[in-house]
Amino acid sequence: MKNFISDLFDLFTGDGMKHYLKSLKYSLYMILHPFDGAWDLIHENRGSMAAAHTIVILALLTRLWDKRFSSFMVNRTRWSEINILMELATVLVPLFIWVLANWCLTTLMDGKGRFRDIYMATAYSFTPYVLIGIPMIFVSNVVTMEEGVFYTYFNTFALIWCVFLILCAMMMIHDYGLLKGLGSSIMSVAGMAIIIFVILLFFSLISDAVAYFISLYKEISLRAS
Amino acid sequence: MKKRILTLLILFCLVITGIPSAKADDDEWYTYTYNYWGDETASPDSYSVTNIFYGRSFGEEVGTFNDAEGMFVIDDLLYVCDTKNNRIVEAQYVDGTFELVRIIYTVNVSEKNKEMLLVDDNITLTLHSPYDVHVVKMDEEKREKMFGSDHLGKMYEPPIPTPTPEPEEGEGTDENADADKAATTSDSEEADDGEDGEDGEDGEDGEAGETGEAAEKPVEYKENVVKKTLDRDYDIYISDTENNRILHCDYNLNVIGVVKDPKDETLKEDFVFFPEKFVVDDVGRYYVQTRNINAGLMEFNKGGVFTTYVGASPVTISLAQRLWRRIQTKKQRDRTKQYVPTEYNNVALDPEGFLYVTTSTLTEAELAAGNGKPVRKLNAMGQDILIRNGHHFPIGDVEWEDVENIKGASAFVDVVIYENEIYCCLDATRGRIFCYDFQGNLLYAFGNYGVKAGCFVNPVAIDKLDEKTLIVLDKKTGTITLFTLSDFGTLIKDAIDLYRVGDYDASADVWSEVLKYNGNYDLAYVGVGRALLRQEKYKEAMDKFEVVRDATNYSKAFKHYREEQVEKHIVLFLVIIIVLIVLPKVIRKVIRLRKEIKEA
Repeated sequence: MKNFISDLFDLFTGDGMKHYLKSLKYSLYMILHPFDGAWDLIHENRGSMAAAHTIVILALLTRLWDKRFSSFMVNRTRWSEINILMELATVLVPLFIWVLANWCLTTLMDGKGRFRDIYMATAYSFTPYVLIGIPMIFVSNVVTMEEGVFYTYFNTFALIWCVFLILCAMMMIHDYGLLKGLGSSIMSVAGMAIIIFVILLFFSLISDAVAYFISLYKEISLRAS
Repeated sequence: MKKRILTLLILFCLVITGIPSAKADDDEWYTYTYNYWGDETASPDSYSVTNIFYGRSFGEEVGTFNDAEGMFVIDDLLYVCDTKNNRIVEAQYVDGTFELVRIIYTVNVSEKNKEMLLVDDNITLTLHSPYDVHVVKMDEEKREKMFGSDHLGKMYEPPIPTPTPEPEEGEGTDENADADKAATTSDSEEADDGEDGEDGEDGEDGEAGETGEAAEKPVEYKENVVKKTLDRDYDIYISDTENNRILHCDYNLNVIGVVKDPKDETLKEDFVFFPEKFVVDDVGRYYVQTRNINAGLMEFNKGGVFTTYVGASPVTISLAQRLWRRIQTKKQRDRTKQYVPTEYNNVALDPEGFLYVTTSTLTEAELAAGNGKPVRKLNAMGQDILIRNGHHFPIGDVEWEDVENIKGASAFVDVVIYENEIYCCLDATRGRIFCYDFQGNLLYAFGNYGVKAGCFVNPVAIDKLDEKTLIVLDKKTGTITLFTLSDFGTLIKDAIDLYRVGDYDASADVWSEVLKYNGNYDLAYVGVGRALLRQEKYKEAMDKFEVVRDATNYSKAFKHYREEQVEKHIVLFLVIIIVLIVLPKVIRKVIRLRKEIKEA
């Protein structure tokens, strides 16, 4: 027990914690200096996986909070029809597939980034969404409907910023030029579509197969009896 | 032992009460509205069925209606177009029931005007599949001014019909023709007394004719049945569809004018005029929904000359559709659906003289996107000016389930408009009636497919007997259903009336009364909220608007509320702002000072 407490204490005061906080703070630098930021994130070891996870979790929370707390004037969420796990999945699954598709593709196109690099850079790119999204939830509650366009504008701006950051980051971590960076990203999106298609195909085939065996079993058991 | 029996008995009672009563339509309700989310929400009945009439309810002479297509109400008179029986039944609404006035099979014409009634070179007095009837108030003076008064005079005598297969019937009609001559030459009002005795015979005559009728044969001449003599200053217009004409007669059925054979370069050479539903405005212009015409309503002037089309809806083809057509082969293109303007299926006149039209040829996608407008209000230019401010477009059902034989969106076939601009649309798909207010909010929907009271199989016409009574004609079952506004419906009507005259506070009182009947009535919350907003009770108003997610009104209330709050707490706000600006500077200074002290 004593050991655990001291461990915990170390966690919050030790070097690990310091590095974590520093890497988290680095996201602020990265969103303003997309090229340098992304390069140093990977190559200078400025980022950490812990910080990346934190940002992803914050982004997920922002999404949920936005649905829950923003004013009904700008928010058509019907909570009785919301499944929080599905909401989380709609962010996490595309994120994972994106990282996977990008990694598969860039490995073939001699990209320098590893799987965790791609994940980390993408996660760090979510920072503007969190930074703008959370204040906007407050703002939406003190504006009228005409002023509500600010909410929409800023959130759209945040998303565009995020996409821009992801594109820059992909160029930097794979050590690509502009064209190759853009091209690989677009192809990754196509790759995502293919992966989703394969997954769906797989599931439908499996369910067909299962249904076949179930009907086979039924047939035999009925014959036997 | 006794105790045990008692316990058993009590248990038994408990079990009995616990068993749910088996009611077929436990989860179905009759009247409903749609909430913000598009969910059907149960509502107390706003209209309830008070009576159902069959053809026979009007009198034995009438028999059964056969595919009645149209209906019209003016004051207390009801006209039913009994289409397949080639007649129009006129009845008077007295004390909640109908008394037969007359059955119209034929019209009269003066010797001078007889050329008007030429159909295929025969002077045709009989009606052939009348689709619609329209009656306007017209006294002698006004008629003279508009049309001249030369439609009377020496009356044309129809030739005595050539011997018919049944000699008895031939005699019957023969006799009647004589009577008719007498009736029309001297003023018909006088002659009616003498005719009374013959009415019974006429009735039998009519019955016999009904059954043995084939569509191809020309309609046999049949004497009108007059049950009751009324003296009204009306003009009757009849769309005599299969005779390709619209007849304009005075109340005694003497023809004044005829609309036929429209001539225009837009019409094809072989165009045959089949007028169906139509209205006539107060200067005598006709607006006619015509079979096979999709360019809008045909407008005729009071003399029956075709002038123009009204209200043609522009064809909208999306870019994708256009591209798709480009890559199709010619054969494919011919087979795909043609992009044509929507064809109207009915037309109605509101108390202010605006035209309302309905159409049912829209796709579900069009309806959902709001480009499909199944009910429209046309101004003089033919533009759609219906207000659609509700959460959902006035398209009838917003959500529906397709079952075996009832599929697709609501199909509006008729509309009736009240004085306060509430309009009720008749849906032929599910036999429902949808009533909207002047802003396009759904007030209530009711009805269903079926043969129960208040349900319809193939409703074709809706009209109002008075401001509180709706009347619906079902073609398939040949019934006429009377609906009366309930207390709940009356409250809604009152609230809207008061709002329209500007008495907002009284209106809100009525709306809160409505909420006692139905706590799910969204419009009532808005109504109450609006009044609270006017009384500067912003917070309460906001709460009301938030319940029904009325963003526009909520925003209005919130704007004032925010102003109020800022004014009230201006000092606090200033303090916070100052603190926010000054505090970081102070802290920074302190830190610097401490650093300097440390370094020193």
